[in-house]
Amino acid sequence: MGKWISQVQTVIGLEIRKTFFSRRGLWVYLLAFAPALLWFVHSLDAIREQARWRELANQEKKVSSAALRSITEGMTKEEVEAKLGEPYAKMARVTRRGDEISSYRYTDGESDVILVMFNGKIGNVIRAEPFTISRDSLNFATVFQFFYLRFAIFFGCVGIFTNLFRAEMLEKSLHFYLLSPIRREVLLVGKYLAGLIATVTIFTVGTALQLLAVAWHFQADELNQYLANGGWGEVGAYLGVTALACLGYGSVFLTAGMVFRNPIIPAVVVLQWELANLFLPGFLKKISVIFYLQSLCPVVAQPDQDIPIPLRILSSAAEPVGAVAAITGLAIVTLAVLAFAANQARKLEINYSTD
Amino acid sequence: MSDQITFDNVSRFYGEVLGVNRVTLSIPPGITSLVGPNGSGKTTLMNLITGLVRPTAGEIRVLGISPNDPERLFHLTGYSTQFDSFPRGMTGTELVSSYLRLAGHSDVEARRIANASIERVGLAGAADRKVAGYSKGMRQRIKLAQAIAHNPRVLVLDEPLNGLDPLVRAETLGLFRQFASEGRHVIVSSHVLHEVDLFSDQVILLSSGYVVAEGQIRAVRGEIREFPMQVAIRCDKPAALAAQVFAQDSVVEARLHPDGHGLLIRTRDADRFYKLMNQIALSGIEIETVAPADDSVNSVYEYLVGNEEATR
Repeated sequence: MGKWISQVQTVIGLEIRKTFFSRRGLWVYLLAFAPALLWFVHSLDAIREQARWRELANQEKKVSSAALRSITEGMTKEEVEAKLGEPYAKMARVTRRGDEISSYRYTDGESDVILVMFNGKIGNVIRAEPFTISRDSLNFATVFQFFYLRFAIFFGCVGIFTNLFRAEMLEKSLHFYLLSPIRREVLLVGKYLAGLIATVTIFTVGTALQLLAVAWHFQADELNQYLANGGWGEVGAYLGVTALACLGYGSVFLTAGMVFRNPIIPAVVVLQWELANLFLPGFLKKISVIFYLQSLCPVVAQPDQDIPIPLRILSSAAEPVGAVAAITGLAIVTLAVLAFAANQARKLEINYSTD
Repeated sequence: MSDQITFDNVSRFYGEVLGVNRVTLSIPPGITSLVGPNGSGKTTLMNLITGLVRPTAGEIRVLGISPNDPERLFHLTGYSTQFDSFPRGMTGTELVSSYLRLAGHSDVEARRIANASIERVGLAGAADRKVAGYSKGMRQRIKLAQAIAHNPRVLVLDEPLNGLDPLVRAETLGLFRQFASEGRHVIVSSHVLHEVDLFSDQVILLSSGYVVAEGQIRAVRGEIREFPMQVAIRCDKPAALAAQVFAQDSVVEARLHPDGHGLLIRTRDADRFYKLMNQIALSGIEIETVAPADDSVNSVYEYLVGNEEATR
């Protein structure tokens, strides 16, 4: 056993540079860190908007929140001005057909309301939600579950884990390992752990950066209060789910890279399977990674109701199971896939000419 | 533990393409050459010995160990493949020491043994350079260094002399002989038939996936009855010698050399012929040399498989 551990360490040492710094894998970093960049942009926007609202408030151009809430569609321009006074910004234009379209902007110091008027009557009230932790928490949950888990980590694992065996077959260098006094199962574990170290590091750092970026524009006391009331648990849950996603998807794509000449095909099949999870019967749902991951996510994501129905259906959440059951289920799926991979590794042959 | 490498009715097909078929062999220690043209099954046999490919049928044992057990097999076996690719970014020392670390050596010990092995193949000056920048000959040597580093009992070498200059070639052959003299197996593949004569204790002749002959090359030659042995003799009275050897019914042809000092004999019984030569030497004909003329691997292969394949 001690010898196997030493061999696993040696394989990890040999693989780790390749998994972290593969030229073919630079796009994995883009997938991992691009969402953090978007959240930073969001925070910058929030800071700018909040400063603008404060500035308007200082200029006494804000109205009361209650008065803003009383505005409804169908009210006339005059009624609005009677209730709210002059807007801080307004715009008007006449269409070719002679209709007048105008917009009035008001603020209560925390958010904006835009009143869109057609021929002097309100046709649409657009309320910009205030930047609150609960709102950003829900937005983060949505992006995390429907983009980061299902696409970024998924394809990141495709990029790193499928290459652990397949890239060496293509480069005709896998025989280095297969001619060593090491059990194929030990080699598999070493490579898997090397991939896991890389993906867990890259994607948990990615998740942590996203959380930092989201939190950046909130006041310290507001943030501390949130963290003290279960916020740290949510942060831990997101980091844990990220790591578990790498664990589960890693096992699937390590196996795919060993069994299939073109791992993109199984990757697309697995992606379809994961996306179709909602429609599967209960026992089939459990043969997936996303089922367990979504159960462990701390906030139930609510996709935008304006998105097309087919997309909304695809992004629906699976029925959650308890944390212990989810982790156990994921571990069972991972171990079953790795056991299959170990069996394939034992039968693995070098036939570079056909690879 | 057995000291033989055995193939028991082993076949290997790549889809519908034949790799090797119904091979039954028992390879003793010493230098064994796998001989045959490209595509004859040499590399398949080596890959079967080392478990890189699995037999479609039959069983292989290497000193009693199954090739399906790499953990035990590669403590005893080193394989220098024909593949010229290496894990990316490694220096010569890193390549060999990584292999040794997988074999269970500590980092320091692995580096020490790796450097000794690299020095043994005459590559010490390039040990710290990236393998990717090595020439063909240097790559051959670093593969050999890796194969011998853990002091294996079985050394399997696929075309190991390709790309080596004459001096290194001679040194490498010396290394093979040393390994063989220590009672180890050195299994070498070559499609250069005349080269094999220089160093082989025994040969395995392959053609289109079949073993057509195996054993010591002279013994194999002796068994080819339909082609009488050729013996070249240099002497002072070739005509008189020709008359005497024709008295023996196994001699089927005697041809005088144009320079008048030699004779080429074809005989169906070489042993009887050599005994006769001893008697003739005492009868007053001065015999300078007696040498077999067609017991080279090339000749044997030509007789067994045909001229076309032997010279391919």
